[in-house]
Amino acid sequence: MNAFVLADCTTVDGALSQLKDGAVVKAGGVDLLDRMKNGTAQPEKLVNIRNIPALRGIEETDKGLKIGALATLTEISEHPAIRKQYQILSDACGSAATPHIRNMATVGGNLLQPVQCWYYRSADFQCLRKGKDLCFAFNGLNQYHAIMDYRTCPAVAPSSAAVALFGLDANVELVSSKRGQRVVSIKDFYVHPDANPTKFAVIEPDELLTAVVIPKPAAGTRSAYQKYGEKDSFDWAIADAGVVLEMDGNICRKAIVTMGAASPVVRRSAQAERELTGKPITEATARAAGKAAMEGATPLSMNAYKVDLFPVAIYRTVRLAAGQMDRDPRAAG
Amino acid sequence: MAPHMSENFLRDLVLEEALPQDEEKKPDTTPKKTVQMPVGVPGYTLQDEAREVPESEPPVWPTNKDLKFVGQSVERWDGAAKVSGRAKYTADVQLPGMLYAKFVNASVPHARVVSVDTSDAERYPGVKGVHVIQHVFGGAVLRDPSLEQVKYPVVRFAGQPIAAVAATTPYAAEEAAALVKVKYETLPFVVEMDRAREENAPLVFPGAADQAGTAGGGGGPRNVSQTGNVHGPSIKKQGDIAQALKEADVVVEGHYITQVQTHSALETHGVVADWKPEMLTVWASTQGTASVREELAAFFNIPASQVRVITEFMGGGFGAKFGAGNHGVVAAALSKKTGAPVRLMLDREEEHLSVGNRPSSDQLLRIGAKKDGEITGIHLVSYGSAGCGTGAGCAGPATNLYKYAALHTEENDVFINAGPGAAMRAPGHPPGAFALEQTIDELAVKLNMDPIDLRDKTDPHPVRRVERQVVRESDLWKSRNPKAGADTGPVKRGVGLSQSVWYRFVSMNSSAEVRVHRDGSLEVLSAVQDIGSGIKTVLAQILAEQFGVPPAQVAVKIGDTNYPVGPNSGGSVTTLSLTPAVRDAAWQASQKFLADIAHAYGASADDLVLVDGEVRSKSGKIKPVSFRRAAAKMTTDQITVQAKRIPDYDKSKYLTYGGVDVAEVEVDTELGRVQVKRVLSVHDCGRPMNPSLVISQINGGVIQAISYALYENRLLDPNYGLMVNPNLETYKIAGSREVPEIDVRLVEAYLGQSSTDASGIGEAAGVISVGAAVGNAVYNALGVRIRRLPMTPAVVLAALRRPQPEMELA
Amino acid sequence: MSAHEDSHSNPGSQQKEELLKHEPGGDPPRNGITRRGFLKGAGITAAGTALLEGVHGFNTAAQSTDPGVKVLGPGAVPVTLSVNGKDHAIQIEPRTTLAEALRIQIGLTGTKVICDRGSCSGCTVWLDKMPVNSCTMLAIDALGRHVTTIEGLSEAGQLHPVQAAFVKHDALQCGFCTPGMVMSCAALLESNSHPTEQDVRHAISGNLCRCGTYARIFAATLDAAGTSRKA
Repeated sequence: MNAFVLADCTTVDGALSQLKDGAVVKAGGVDLLDRMKNGTAQPEKLVNIRNIPALRGIEETDKGLKIGALATLTEISEHPAIRKQYQILSDACGSAATPHIRNMATVGGNLLQPVQCWYYRSADFQCLRKGKDLCFAFNGLNQYHAIMDYRTCPAVAPSSAAVALFGLDANVELVSSKRGQRVVSIKDFYVHPDANPTKFAVIEPDELLTAVVIPKPAAGTRSAYQKYGEKDSFDWAIADAGVVLEMDGNICRKAIVTMGAASPVVRRSAQAERELTGKPITEATARAAGKAAMEGATPLSMNAYKVDLFPVAIYRTVRLAAGQMDRDPRAAG
Repeated sequence: MAPHMSENFLRDLVLEEALPQDEEKKPDTTPKKTVQMPVGVPGYTLQDEAREVPESEPPVWPTNKDLKFVGQSVERWDGAAKVSGRAKYTADVQLPGMLYAKFVNASVPHARVVSVDTSDAERYPGVKGVHVIQHVFGGAVLRDPSLEQVKYPVVRFAGQPIAAVAATTPYAAEEAAALVKVKYETLPFVVEMDRAREENAPLVFPGAADQAGTAGGGGGPRNVSQTGNVHGPSIKKQGDIAQALKEADVVVEGHYITQVQTHSALETHGVVADWKPEMLTVWASTQGTASVREELAAFFNIPASQVRVITEFMGGGFGAKFGAGNHGVVAAALSKKTGAPVRLMLDREEEHLSVGNRPSSDQLLRIGAKKDGEITGIHLVSYGSAGCGTGAGCAGPATNLYKYAALHTEENDVFINAGPGAAMRAPGHPPGAFALEQTIDELAVKLNMDPIDLRDKTDPHPVRRVERQVVRESDLWKSRNPKAGADTGPVKRGVGLSQSVWYRFVSMNSSAEVRVHRDGSLEVLSAVQDIGSGIKTVLAQILAEQFGVPPAQVAVKIGDTNYPVGPNSGGSVTTLSLTPAVRDAAWQASQKFLADIAHAYGASADDLVLVDGEVRSKSGKIKPVSFRRAAAKMTTDQITVQAKRIPDYDKSKYLTYGGVDVAEVEVDTELGRVQVKRVLSVHDCGRPMNPSLVISQINGGVIQAISYALYENRLLDPNYGLMVNPNLETYKIAGSREVPEIDVRLVEAYLGQSSTDASGIGEAAGVISVGAAVGNAVYNALGVRIRRLPMTPAVVLAALRRPQPEMELA
Repeated sequence: MSAHEDSHSNPGSQQKEELLKHEPGGDPPRNGITRRGFLKGAGITAAGTALLEGVHGFNTAAQSTDPGVKVLGPGAVPVTLSVNGKDHAIQIEPRTTLAEALRIQIGLTGTKVICDRGSCSGCTVWLDKMPVNSCTMLAIDALGRHVTTIEGLSEAGQLHPVQAAFVKHDALQCGFCTPGMVMSCAALLESNSHPTEQDVRHAISGNLCRCGTYARIFAATLDAAGTSRKA
């Protein structure tokens, strides 16, 4: 890990004043330190926002939920109101990485982690997403890569929290000293590699992610997230599913189905949602949703199996959200 | 049937000095006595057998139930040090003025090194020394070295060390290492075994090459042909295989593929080397203090007496930690150059890349049998890659588990541009058993026989017969549905079994010293190292049994070449080799002690015995007195006895041991996920010296085998030759949630072979057989056989989509 | 699969050919694989200076005027870490991880660094009573918190109940993962005094043991909690 200057900040304004000349924000530092140790990030200056009280806390309001950027994954997953009303988010944050990392990692850092592709994460491979013009995964080892929505880079969306936040229609608050605050819908927050391979999210170098804001769910909303790896203890998703169901009695008024490990940016599956909307949640409709979600899948040389897994993940998570099935013992977290 | 000890890897695994051949040739003039020893399995086959043993041997121990400390589950002697963080491992050693060293590693998989420019690194602040490697340890070497006229060793895998930098801080060392400029002339490379076997494949070596075996294993056969990258075949024949298969009523055949596994010991390879003019002292994370000393003395051409190796605690080895290694030699050279102690511990990536792995395998196995299950012939052709090393043979189980009329095995090593393999817990046997035991299972299906009945028919080993009986009577086995694929839901349950075989290797390089002090305290000293299996505890138990003091009160001093030479811990040799020497020393020390104090009590030495911590008089002339009080009467401050291992009492018998493992799995057929729910492990290891420690080793072997069967896989990018998962994140090792309920049943199996009659357990401990048991359980669950490791969702779902023909046999 | 072949414009084969060329050269092509560890000049100089001269204190030249900002490093700065109830005044560069500070500066080597990436939890310590991976956090981030290491778990030479249970159940072999395991299991009992085996499995799902001691770790932790194995 290279030497660096650390600007230790206690206020948002203080931090913003430091965000210039290539300075990089450090919150929990989990992912940043990983990349620095691997030699794929070598910032000369870190802006430490970990000690800014204003970025902490989880606040319930009439309109919904405001989660400070420094809220840890553990704090979110164990928060009583989130467990009750925003189960998908509690599930997602509780199934990320390991228990200890969840104690350290912040939601801001989780949302902003670059992709977990092993080529991207290695200093030996100078890939497209590091500003070069090659992708090593297409002709290389791609068993964990995307099966949909990729053209230039098939690395998959790494953040479990994002899969939940897409399902909850969350907004992200950003602030810069020059342009002040802006609120970006999570749907617009990530930059697809086809549009710009080196820019992972719309956040600018002089901006700080300060909070995540989640609208209050409509009455009758039930949700869940499940992540599957090759093993249960600490693994990245090979398939995952976030499901939000707005139920009206037996009928699903509105459904949101999201997937992280299928594509470079979290994907909402309109096809899956169509299979559930206006219908009762049953074995058949849940299966149909899973199947529909794979329409248009184009697996790579080594990951056709993932096309079989997502329908199962979606099916089981729809049933879990609907209260028709227990949490899968094979799900991570 | 005697095992065929000509296994390639076994030949190297057995230390030269471990084979007491020389002693056998000499006329044995030692005075002998005949003793009756318990032999067999209590409750099944136990009986007394006569043995001729040297007169100086201690009295025969009864079976464990009649011993006080030995054979009991005594707490780990150094447990408190380990749980409290006090235990100092090599990684924890900090010496005044110590420098931190960092390797510069090859960034390409195959290249000639044109130049190594260290000037910037040498000028870097904090740097005290730079060393450029002239000789690389580990991989195979050319039979004809003149085929490569090079200044620097040719790079044969990405991650091969080229140079190293020593500096005052780890940061400075890392930064300076990055400034060493290596100029490569890159060469064509190959990292896929199938590709490496092709005629036009890039050549890893320009001619035939062999891997020297290290003290603990690794390496393969030497006198075999080499064609391209294919080093072999090494052929073994017994009987006429063609005729045997022709005479068979049924022939089953399977093609099995297994991956490369890395040892991934949690403490990486490394040393702290302190070169002084009069003595080179090296703290090493090693399985063989003796092997490190030997290689350093040889490399630097200094007397062994001037090399001291210390391994007080070490964080796992699993077969990869023998000899000085590149890190040992380089650290010593840097220490010599700088005049300061040098710490060189590998990082996690280097640990994956450069210091050993379990080779891959590609096996075509054919077994013919008569209708009644009698095996007529076994035919195995295997290819496997140990990277730029050799040692991928895996015919051990096929050769040594069952009776057959004919055997034909051809083992081939295939060179690829990857780090060299090293012995890994039961080298060759987990892949060999994965193929053999699934094929036997398939044979049982084809013959419509129960898998245990079939093995009873064809496996003559008396102890495994008992172990199968234990399995047969277990609830787990009784719960097995003989009909494969019977479950109807998406999650299907299955139960399968597999057997293992390992060999009774003895290292004659096993000696110890026992000291009795006038204050009644006791010490045992040996250079042997405790690699986690608990030999410290066992040594304390032996002294405790002899002197009647609690084991915790015995001072155990090991892991230092200043003490009497100990065995290198590989191939399950430690306990069975060393404990008889320790018992002999303890016994002789007790006799010396009684002789010394007899006068003070006005007794004759012959009249005194030491029982349960008391000196007693056989004649009743004197009242019993505690050992401690009697010790105060010693005429000298300290009684010291050294003893060394004597050969096994009866070398014609009991050359193999092993076990039977049963796995219960649940296969989620929608997810392609295999979950091992329960494992029943029935194993023998001679006299279990400490059942609790043995069970710990078996628990670990079972889990390592599950991890191998389901998760672990070293992945090399085919286009660039680099490992993409050199970490503990995407190199996936079983964690807490993958661990099944494990039921270990130890079968005491007395052999009448030594004064302790212990055997080893590390290799056989589930490592060999659980992968195959999982395979057989998956077949039992699905009716589909999976012949490829690891059984990931991708592999399982593919097998479910394209069931192979043999499923119709179910 | 040919679907992606059309759409993605940069096959790796071209670069592979470059690599396969036999001319002697320096590092492989910049466009593809590069030799790792390229460091930026500024970082080197600053760190090196600090190493040689042992620069103490804050880098005043870089000090911000903003009251909410304190600029540290890149050279060593004096800090006081509270570890096991004792204050340790040490000099560390900002990049120093908590594990490095504990092991190298303070000499508490019970905390092990195994993967150095947060994947194995061998380096687990408590921040206040919360288990964290000390390899994956900066030592500076532990300022103002109470750090507890394995050495601090036992009091007055008495093993913590979890430590004692580990010995009793032989929940260890080589012992290298043990400090991290103990810290994780003891932390579980701090927050859940009556865990089930499933709770233990989840609490240590980030802790790797290569010797395979898990089953006995479950038993030891439940024993320490006074709960039965299958509670």
